[in-house]
Amino acid sequence: MLPPLPQDFVERLAGQISQFEEGFETLSKASTLKDMARVFAGLLRSNLQTAEPGIFHLSIEQKRWERFYGEDGQPFPETVTLPATNNFSLQHLDNTHTRIGVVQPLTDGSTLGVVLARKTPGGPFTEIDKLSLQLLLQLYANAHRPLLQRRNEKELVFSLNHRVLQLNSLIDTGIEVSKLKREGSLHQLALERAASLTNASRGLLVVSSKGQEIERYAFPGGKISVDHINTVHRIQSSFEFFNNTYTFELFEKESRAGTVPFDETDHILLNALARQVHASLENRYLLRQALEKQKIDQDIAVAASIQQRILPESLPNIEGYDLFGINIPSKSVGGDYYDCIPLSDGRIALVIADVSGKGVPAALLVSSFHAYLGAYLEGAVSLVQLTQRLNDAIYRASTDDRFITAFLALLDPKTGKLESVSAGHNPVYLVKSNGKVQELSAGGVALGMLDMEFPYQTDEVVIERGERLLLYTDGVTEAINEQEELYDNIVPVKEFIIKKRQQSAQEFIDALISDIKRFSGAAPQVDDITALYLIRC
Amino acid sequence: MEQQFSLSSEVRNNCLVITTTGYVNNVGGEAIAKEFARHFEGGTKKVIINLAQSKVVNSIGMSFLIDIVDQLNDAGGKMVFTNLDPAIHKMLSIMGLFQFAGKANTVDDALKELSA
Repeated sequence: MLPPLPQDFVERLAGQISQFEEGFETLSKASTLKDMARVFAGLLRSNLQTAEPGIFHLSIEQKRWERFYGEDGQPFPETVTLPATNNFSLQHLDNTHTRIGVVQPLTDGSTLGVVLARKTPGGPFTEIDKLSLQLLLQLYANAHRPLLQRRNEKELVFSLNHRVLQLNSLIDTGIEVSKLKREGSLHQLALERAASLTNASRGLLVVSSKGQEIERYAFPGGKISVDHINTVHRIQSSFEFFNNTYTFELFEKESRAGTVPFDETDHILLNALARQVHASLENRYLLRQALEKQKIDQDIAVAASIQQRILPESLPNIEGYDLFGINIPSKSVGGDYYDCIPLSDGRIALVIADVSGKGVPAALLVSSFHAYLGAYLEGAVSLVQLTQRLNDAIYRASTDDRFITAFLALLDPKTGKLESVSAGHNPVYLVKSNGKVQELSAGGVALGMLDMEFPYQTDEVVIERGERLLLYTDGVTEAINEQEELYDNIVPVKEFIIKKRQQSAQEFIDALISDIKRFSGAAPQVDDITALYLIRC
Repeated sequence: MEQQFSLSSEVRNNCLVITTTGYVNNVGGEAIAKEFARHFEGGTKKVIINLAQSKVVNSIGMSFLIDIVDQLNDAGGKMVFTNLDPAIHKMLSIMGLFQFAGKANTVDDALKELSA
């Protein structure tokens, strides 16, 4: 026969049911486990007249009791063992039955642990107290389920948002690194983003060349400790650029529970960020190249402009003579020069010159040569003295590696008498009436080469009627074809001039240029082509 | 360059102002949460997180901030973020924090918003 129920049992039970309903509603509203524990502690106190309870939680992952409510430093009693089944379990913690330990398995595999002590003089826990406690634990378990669902939903939304954030940040970083002017800022930004997007606790970027470290960037600031270097949780990505190796390394992926291994997405993100830095470095290099090329093109344009301004727009008409000249500048701008200058005494100065080197410096030196020539020609000096003065002026005006080869001649148009000096220039060809070619090459070293009064030699000839004189630069004889053969080796200019000796000055020059173009084919013109042709009619 | 994490806090006009320096990650987030909990248990329900000296936040640090926002909302309180770097502002927007928390340019602006 069952013992009779206490008189107030039904009333107490009815009151408790009402409290349980309210308690369940409050528990269900809790947003965190700790919040639930706090509410649950209140329910335990009010329903069981206990002292402050200790509420603990044993998760599957952590495998140790974590205190959610109660006095600091109070551990969950080791004597309370987990039940073999999923049922509630209660154990007395003292002989007077005033202190008990309870465990309640929860639906996610974790366990709720409660330590309760009777308030004196409440006496030992009764069977009714234990029944009430079991009901309260069931309430907790029931309220715990929707909390987990809400938490899972929240984690899912967080995870989806985080994926969106990672993609967004990857795109933004690509744009930002392309805008940064300093490479150091670019590296630092990429490292920060790589660490934050993968939840790495630290990041390192080392730039090295042939195994030697050149630069190092760390995130966050400070040194990377040996512990980080030796951690098993690390990933890296590297690329090569201009003999330098860029190595990104991330350490210790964080989670709320501690460090965890990096996953596949982290590898993808790190590689993508490293590729963005690589692409940015390449783009900077290409931009620099383009700017340098633009500057070179501008220099060339300036040089070409200087050169074209000092070349004669037209040659003077010399009675009894047919004269024609041409200058075809190459793309890289050389320093060819030619002119035909009538002097006040009736003579004509014929000049052709070629400055060593190319570009603006060569063009400027040609300009100087042109100015000195104009200044010295009218002085009553000999051709040798003129050449020596030019040598001295060019020597002073040029750097050690620059000089000018030049052929200077003074023609008396009435008599056909021609006095010439070659300062290191190609021989000038005089086609005689008998069809033979005489080379005019007497002279000396190129102008500006030696700082001395060089004893230049001169040639003196008389150009008879029908005889022709060809002055040219090495752009003619050294024009190359696609096989890199020299024009003069295949088509000797000396023979060409004989073959074409019936033509007028312009016809001859046109024929010569056409033949050089035919010979060169698709090969680029590497030097200026300049020629001056004089026929005594 | 981002520094190691540190924080300072003060209570102004009944609002807890937490100012951080450096990377807001697991360590940083936990430190903020602890500082918040200390004041929250004492009844503080208005919180300003000043991120002027923090330019990088990872998702673990962010999860701590979300927890704080949740707790404040449940308790009828409010959080306001201030001095946000554009990258962090975008991050908080994408993670949906501004649905539940405010933002202001400066701490003083945030204090005005919270006292309104």
